[in-house]
Amino acid sequence: MSEIPLVQLLTPEGERVTHPEYESTLGKDEIFGMHRDMTIIRRLCNEATSLQRQGQLALWAPLQGQEAAQIGAGRALQPMDFTFPSYREHGIAWCRGIPPEKWLRLFRAVDHGGWDPQQYRHSVPTIVIGNQALNAVGYAMGVQRDGAEEATMVFFGDGATSEGDVNEAFVWAGSFDAPIVFFVQNNQWAISEPTVRQSKIPLYRRAEGFGFPGIRVDGNDVLAVHEVTKRALAHAREGGGPTLIEAFTYRMGAHTTSDDPTRYRIDADVEVWKHRDPLERVKAYLVRQHQVPASEFDATSAEADALAAKLREDVLAMDSPDPLSIFEYAYADVHPLIEEGKRDMIELGVGGGAH
Amino acid sequence: MAQMTMAKALNEGLRRALEDNPKVLLMGEDIGKLGGVFRVTDGLQKDFGEDRIIDSPLAESGIVGTSVGLAIRGYRPVCEIQFDGFVYPAFDQIVSQVAKLHSRSHGVYKMALVIRIPFGGQIGAIEHHSESPEGYFAHTAGLRVVSPTTPNDAYWMIQQAITHDDPIIFCEPKCRYWEKGEVDLDRPPRGLFDAHVAREGTDVTVIAYGPSVRTAVRAAEAASAEGRSVEVIDARSIAPLDFPPMVASVQKTGRLVVVAEAPANASVASEVVARLTEECFYSLRAPALRVTGYHTPYPPSRVEEEYLPNIDRILDAVDRVMGFES
Amino acid sequence: MWKVAVGDTIALNQPLIDIETAKATVELPSPYAGVVTKLHGEVGDVVPVGAPLIEIEVGGGDAAPLATPAEPATTPQGEGRTAVLVGYGVATNEGAPTRHRRRGGAVAPAPAPPAPITSTAPALAPRSTPPVRLYAKQHGIDIESIQGTGRDGLITRSDVERVVSGGTPRARSAPAAPTGVTRFVGHELAPWESGPKEERIPVRGVLRSMADAMVQSAFSAPHAAAWVRVDASKSVELLSALKSRPSMANVRLSPLTLVALALCDAARHFPGINSRFDDAAGEVIVRRSVALGIAADTPRGLIVPNIKDADTLDLVGMADALTTLVEKARAGTTTPNEMIGTTLTITNVGPFGIDGAMPILPPGTSAIVAVGQIAKAPWVVDDEVVVRHVVEIAMSFDHRCIDGALASSVLAHVGRFLNDPAPALLAR
Repeated sequence: MSEIPLVQLLTPEGERVTHPEYESTLGKDEIFGMHRDMTIIRRLCNEATSLQRQGQLALWAPLQGQEAAQIGAGRALQPMDFTFPSYREHGIAWCRGIPPEKWLRLFRAVDHGGWDPQQYRHSVPTIVIGNQALNAVGYAMGVQRDGAEEATMVFFGDGATSEGDVNEAFVWAGSFDAPIVFFVQNNQWAISEPTVRQSKIPLYRRAEGFGFPGIRVDGNDVLAVHEVTKRALAHAREGGGPTLIEAFTYRMGAHTTSDDPTRYRIDADVEVWKHRDPLERVKAYLVRQHQVPASEFDATSAEADALAAKLREDVLAMDSPDPLSIFEYAYADVHPLIEEGKRDMIELGVGGGAH
Repeated sequence: MAQMTMAKALNEGLRRALEDNPKVLLMGEDIGKLGGVFRVTDGLQKDFGEDRIIDSPLAESGIVGTSVGLAIRGYRPVCEIQFDGFVYPAFDQIVSQVAKLHSRSHGVYKMALVIRIPFGGQIGAIEHHSESPEGYFAHTAGLRVVSPTTPNDAYWMIQQAITHDDPIIFCEPKCRYWEKGEVDLDRPPRGLFDAHVAREGTDVTVIAYGPSVRTAVRAAEAASAEGRSVEVIDARSIAPLDFPPMVASVQKTGRLVVVAEAPANASVASEVVARLTEECFYSLRAPALRVTGYHTPYPPSRVEEEYLPNIDRILDAVDRVMGFES
Repeated sequence: MWKVAVGDTIALNQPLIDIETAKATVELPSPYAGVVTKLHGEVGDVVPVGAPLIEIEVGGGDAAPLATPAEPATTPQGEGRTAVLVGYGVATNEGAPTRHRRRGGAVAPAPAPPAPITSTAPALAPRSTPPVRLYAKQHGIDIESIQGTGRDGLITRSDVERVVSGGTPRARSAPAAPTGVTRFVGHELAPWESGPKEERIPVRGVLRSMADAMVQSAFSAPHAAAWVRVDASKSVELLSALKSRPSMANVRLSPLTLVALALCDAARHFPGINSRFDDAAGEVIVRRSVALGIAADTPRGLIVPNIKDADTLDLVGMADALTTLVEKARAGTTTPNEMIGTTLTITNVGPFGIDGAMPILPPGTSAIVAVGQIAKAPWVVDDEVVVRHVVEIAMSFDHRCIDGALASSVLAHVGRFLNDPAPALLAR
């Protein structure tokens, strides 16, 4: 792996290791639960890829390889915390309790969002790279002004760290001690651009320059990610200010279903990372340390298959929205051009089931 | 009733909004101790504290981007962009998030934020301090754009904008900041999005907004001396445009001139002309004309008088529409 | 490479084949579980998007054909999209030239019958301002039937008012002289290639007047004709000589000037030609004053204004009168009074490069002279063929009152005049 220090509590071989500052207190059931989470989101992600290949989705952004980063972080959140995702945070959405078919509405191109962000405490997806970092800091400043003990967490990738908005978000967060956790999943690739193109120094070290702590964690180690995130969230809730967590991981699949990674990266690298699979190490650990029988893993797989079948069913049943619905939330208040547009569509016989 | 400058009226309007709703907060560069480079926020930080009158780091996308988050949290942020020409770093946040989040969240998020931008020329400034970017925002669905032209409008419109649930780009004609006028502290003159007949007339309708309204009224006075009766409409709301009173005026006069500092190409002025041509086709005795800044970068201010719509250029347009054979 | 064979039982999402698309080689997962009944295409084939790829028998025994997905995917309906790198692909049916909806809610209605096309050239749409159009519309007046008197033929409110109050609109002018090729009955026709297969032009305005007049004339006056060829060389020389005189610098002389003078002179000698057969009154009216009509081709069509008391004019007077008449006709400022009372008419077809014509009489007149082009031609002089400027003069006449002898005499007189104009001019 890298020479740079990173927090790891579970090796790729499934061995528990100690860290001077971080120790996981999770028991067998919780760890098994995280393995279940990771199994399910991997399975759902594969189903979504198939659905895209079969013409049922316009696009899909797979998360293979990043399951531990997302489940570890997602399971560290408290219910009242608020999260700001990019468009690949399916694992976080899962942890926030958002039904999988809602994640796919965006990719089915029937919606730009898909869920009620207040209900799930998980904002709508942000596709413009890095925009959400500033939005999240602003939200955290609101939490701060409310005197609430809530943390805000924002997700983005290594590519986003080059965006002005992310750097401005660091400035704001540092300057105002915003109760926020920046969670960058360094999956090594921004489509075809390697991380070294974004930064000459490890990403977590950026934080120092903005005046708050940064830490690199083994993004394929769900225990370490969970522990590091839990600590950073608590730090934020307690008024300690922001933290930058760099989850060092690898995007095993393509950037999206429209991408062809074989054009810019070599199989050997991917092979190396296959041995660091986030699911396998947990399974090995559970089998070895807690004697979890194969049947329990089989049950998880069956559950994942069932969820995938349900997802397929839900996606296939997902119709185009009523064209008139485009006017519904363009503005909060009455707007003459919206009324005019609606009238025009109706007069042309569009919408209201006529489509 | 009170006499005050537009800058003071804005200050008083902001003060009242801050008093009325604890969720209202201000963010911008130099707005705290300094009171803003135009002193519009003078004294507010002293009275409302640093948590509500937030001196921001020097990054416009940061100002707007964090305000979005504050709005999601239920606050009603009022951002100050120091000058028109400095709003572009925030353009991405304004267009990609401010304008779209209400829709993307199916109405769950209210983007109840106001982005104040001192805009327009006529102040003899150096580059980037005299621009008219309102058209970019007027073009963007999800945003509203307004501009007060009198202290009374400024006092009320800023409060109306802050209480409105949609994001509002609030364009302040900076060349009018120091003009005094009567402010009615008890009753708003009209709705936030209502156009207003600033001067009545029968021969030609001149529609203007922001800094151009006063120029248009003065041109109307000059035209009157030449025996021509010019009606001036202050659009006040740039997006949406309040067309009914404009339509009524053009149906009365049959002649239309639109005045704005922003270059005409693909502009708000062009939209006014297009729409009124559509709505008032059978009333137009002459082609509608636009008197605007020329299609150049904003010039060095020593020649801005020639660049901007001035009384001569407006009168020339009035002559042309009046002289058109019909 | 096919990863399944006919007869294989396959599961949902089982890889079927590797497809090489423009951007990547991707594994196509089966959207159905079932038994493969047919494979379309061999390894290496290029399969169009949307073409069948494999058939799978699903449960109930129906084979489900799977079409090649677009890149990266077909629509959820799997049809009609052109691949791009991101998204479902470009909808190809979007631009189909079919109307699906119409305002008011009717779906795909029967096409409306084509409206009569009045003009295909936008430049020729009558120019006016919207309020004037509305005013005309409110009074049930077709703006196209009005001749504008404003700048460049603009139809003004007063033009409409004049029509409303029953006055006659004046002829409309055109900014530039039209070419005779595309202009027809007052309309600018689209080029042969680009115009409609069939074009309908309403008969109104000048066209209506011309048509009515010609029909009235053709079916009431029995037309007869006579013609003569004349050596007009001396006329050409005389005109040339006069034009070079400084005193004549501002006078626009043309062969038409001489023809006009010749015809008036003939009328003085043979007044019968300047007559009118009034069937209703049972009279033939002989006039001893020539109101000389000149057929003028204007952008709006043919009009025939006249020169009153043309028989009293000398060379310069006739030249000026003709110039004024033509200019007014072109400018559309001919007055109604100038259009009535014609007694004799000249139609000058020479400028069109035509030798001769047999015109129809304007109603109320008994003779019309057509003047052909003056062109060099072989001419026999003293039994020798020489080159001369030759012109053909033709005359149509109302045979109810004018017989061949009179017509021939008049024609011969005109011919002699043109053959040697100087003495004739001096004789007047």
